[in-house]
Amino acid sequence: MAIAKLKQDINSALNNDNLTGALGRFGEAYLPAREKAYEGKDFAAIREQIKEIKSYAADHMEELAEQFAKQAEKNGAKVFRAKTAAEAKEYIAKVVKEHNAKTVIKSKSMASEEIHLNDYLLKNTGVDEVAETDLGEWIIQLCGQRPSHMVMPAIHMTRDEVAEIFSKETNQNLDPDIAKLVKVARENLRQKFLRAGIGISGANIAVAETGTIVMCTNEGNGRLTTTVPPVHIILVGLEKLVPKFKDVGPILEALPRSATGQKITSYVTMISGPTPAIDLDGNIIEQKELHIVLMDNGRTAMRDDPMFKQALQCIRCASCLNVCPVFQKVGGHVYGHVYTGGIGTILTAFLNSFEKAGELQNLCLRCERCKTYCPGKIDLPALIAELRRRTVEKNGLPMGQKLILEKVLTNRKLFHSLLRTASVAQKPFVKGNVIRHLPLFFSGLTEGRSLPAIAAKPLRDKVGHYVPKSKPKAKVGYYAGCLGDFVYPEQGEAAYKVLGKMGMEIVFPLEQTCCGIPATQMGAPEVAVKLAKQNIEAFEKEGLDYIVSLCPTCVEVLKHHYVDYLKNDPAWKERAEKFAAKVVDFPTFVAKHGNNLKFKKLFTKATYHDSCHMKRTLNVWKEPRELLNKAGVKLVEMKGCDECCGFGGSYSIKMPEISKAILDKKLVNAEAAGADVLALDCPGCKMQIAGGLDAKGSKLPVKHTVELLAEALDD
Amino acid sequence: MSVVLTKNPMDALYNEFKEKAEAISAEVHRVADVKAARELVTKIIKELGTNKVVYAPSELTQSIDVQAIGKDAGVEMTSENLRQNAADAGLGISQLDYAIAEIGTLVGNATSIESRMVSILPPVHVALVRTANILPNLLETIALYNNKLGELPRYLTFVTGPSRTSDIERVLTIGVHGPGRLIIVFID
Repeated sequence: MAIAKLKQDINSALNNDNLTGALGRFGEAYLPAREKAYEGKDFAAIREQIKEIKSYAADHMEELAEQFAKQAEKNGAKVFRAKTAAEAKEYIAKVVKEHNAKTVIKSKSMASEEIHLNDYLLKNTGVDEVAETDLGEWIIQLCGQRPSHMVMPAIHMTRDEVAEIFSKETNQNLDPDIAKLVKVARENLRQKFLRAGIGISGANIAVAETGTIVMCTNEGNGRLTTTVPPVHIILVGLEKLVPKFKDVGPILEALPRSATGQKITSYVTMISGPTPAIDLDGNIIEQKELHIVLMDNGRTAMRDDPMFKQALQCIRCASCLNVCPVFQKVGGHVYGHVYTGGIGTILTAFLNSFEKAGELQNLCLRCERCKTYCPGKIDLPALIAELRRRTVEKNGLPMGQKLILEKVLTNRKLFHSLLRTASVAQKPFVKGNVIRHLPLFFSGLTEGRSLPAIAAKPLRDKVGHYVPKSKPKAKVGYYAGCLGDFVYPEQGEAAYKVLGKMGMEIVFPLEQTCCGIPATQMGAPEVAVKLAKQNIEAFEKEGLDYIVSLCPTCVEVLKHHYVDYLKNDPAWKERAEKFAAKVVDFPTFVAKHGNNLKFKKLFTKATYHDSCHMKRTLNVWKEPRELLNKAGVKLVEMKGCDECCGFGGSYSIKMPEISKAILDKKLVNAEAAGADVLALDCPGCKMQIAGGLDAKGSKLPVKHTVELLAEALDD
Repeated sequence: MSVVLTKNPMDALYNEFKEKAEAISAEVHRVADVKAARELVTKIIKELGTNKVVYAPSELTQSIDVQAIGKDAGVEMTSENLRQNAADAGLGISQLDYAIAEIGTLVGNATSIESRMVSILPPVHVALVRTANILPNLLETIALYNNKLGELPRYLTFVTGPSRTSDIERVLTIGVHGPGRLIIVFID
């Protein structure tokens, strides 16, 4: 049921041109702005500092909270420790009632959204209004929506929609002129600031050492909220604590740069105690009431979880959303709660509902982009995968998936014979060498893209043990991967040709099978462990120097995941480590050992698509470009060359609509490059992009780098 | 009216500050002494055509003698009853303690209610800063306050350019809840 609702939300988001347009434009503008803001800064060093500060703070949450409370009270604030959302709301309502406030103004506080504070105050106190004062938040409040982005809450709306909303609010007929609309907001909210009895704000950082609250805003609403009303309540989650005042430095250097590409926000306010104020009658109050509500609401539970503790390193910059290809297509509302995107999925699990988050993890493509940009150095994709695993552990797998994973995937002979059968059974659906329409549950997969046919003869039947005439330089095990073996055998043949020319002896261990990534992605790691053992066994008996594969995801799994899966089994751990040490991706291997290769010029113009796992996980992107250059190919870079194509393995089956929307953007960029061929280094990306181009009627061929290299070899 | 002084050790920092602050829409001036500052502020007020100016009493507002400026410019110059007066004044004048060259930011102790009211409510803010107090970057500024944590102001403020928003369609608009103009006057 819940999944059906999610799918419905996704479809309506994908059909909302305002949303996808605004998000797409922002996604494009964000990266150069961010890069410019970080000029002259060492991002790697800053994020390392933040990680240290925040992980220390997470480990010492309770003592820092105590130190903060003590220090802030010494400074003259009243500190309340709230275990739950209910406790926080009750306390704040009590303060509001004590002061008999009629108007409350609030400046951006995600924590207050998290606990639905506005509603509570309206129902349980005598206030007439609780006004959001950030422009975006106010727009959202007036039309009864939820923020769709942590930093830009109304990014999904157009100026026309805002004009309509403001016209209704002010009983005027307003033009969709942004400068004028901003002025209307200024005038309207100004009156609210001036008559507010209480200001409520959030915090970006809370310093235990000095009892200081740090807050960043651009509009000045934060300054007004903390200055004009005679009472100030600060609602702050325990995750905002840092030990020392100097810890503010690195966080303040990263937060605005990562959030909006600014070097600093217009206003940064550091409050270390109550200040004077002027009451509603104009009298000076020497020391106003300052309340600080330190809220737990799931945060210590997060800290106590050995895996998810890492998520507390988040500084709420939302850059994980800004670079997420899925977020750029569907926006924040499909996430269903206040925190959205990658980090939102995780926060929702702990601060709102684990059930909901279990569904949301389905949105993640695992393109790993967020991980590269996170200033808190959080491994978001790993945490989302862990959510998936826990959801499956709790709810079990759907029957069909369970059957495929447990009975088919772990039985290599059955799996491979089914693939061979499929190559025959698919015949009615094949036209040329491409499947146009698939029956039954696969139908979503051919929506907007053609699928390649399963090859009549798999790679394993075409290649075997190759021994060069002269003394072999090294003995290489060839790992094909499912697509490389059964769908694109020509890529493997090309690889054999290149490796042969390099003077390598090549072995194709026949017992090799699926790397296991689909099982991990579906939340069945026990299946992946079985497959890991099968593959390690298949290769270790051959006495190899290297194990080479054309698929970056397979390389990642073989090289990095197996050791992790088997780390608690000493004997297997050692075998996995030895195995992993030999695994290398194809471009790196050729770049390193292929100096003897001679190429004739190809005179082709190629554009290159960086596969997510090749570029971000394996950090390989220079090598294929160098190899293509050597082969005489002229490279023309396409816009967004390292943006995900939307494949994501089983993702394209689970979320075909999103996958296709992301693909469409890639296709436009690919064709706009004006190249003769699109080169890439991942069979999965080839399936996605070539399928999309075919369905679109495009003539742009897609080739694995190895195919171009093989063509250029000088025989 | 602004003068550019040469061979001053602060020149490089000032130039960097000016470049960074202007890039985010602040207006930056530098004058040789309080007399020149007085003339510049008077001129600014006359150009604005406002009839009410609010100020936060401080060492620099006193040395440029804002009350005399008010008389010269023919405006009401006050720091009283600021809930009312700051809300309908055309300009607010306050002093800030430091400037950060790298990011074009002003920093200061804003604990007094006057300094906050006059710098955030009126549509224009004139900030007076001593040229000698320009610091190179944010981290050194944090370090400076960190060196005297016992004296940390209760309300420490960092101001960078005028108030801004991009909340509607990501279009940058200057001046939302805070001032739409930030005029910085460095006094040597």
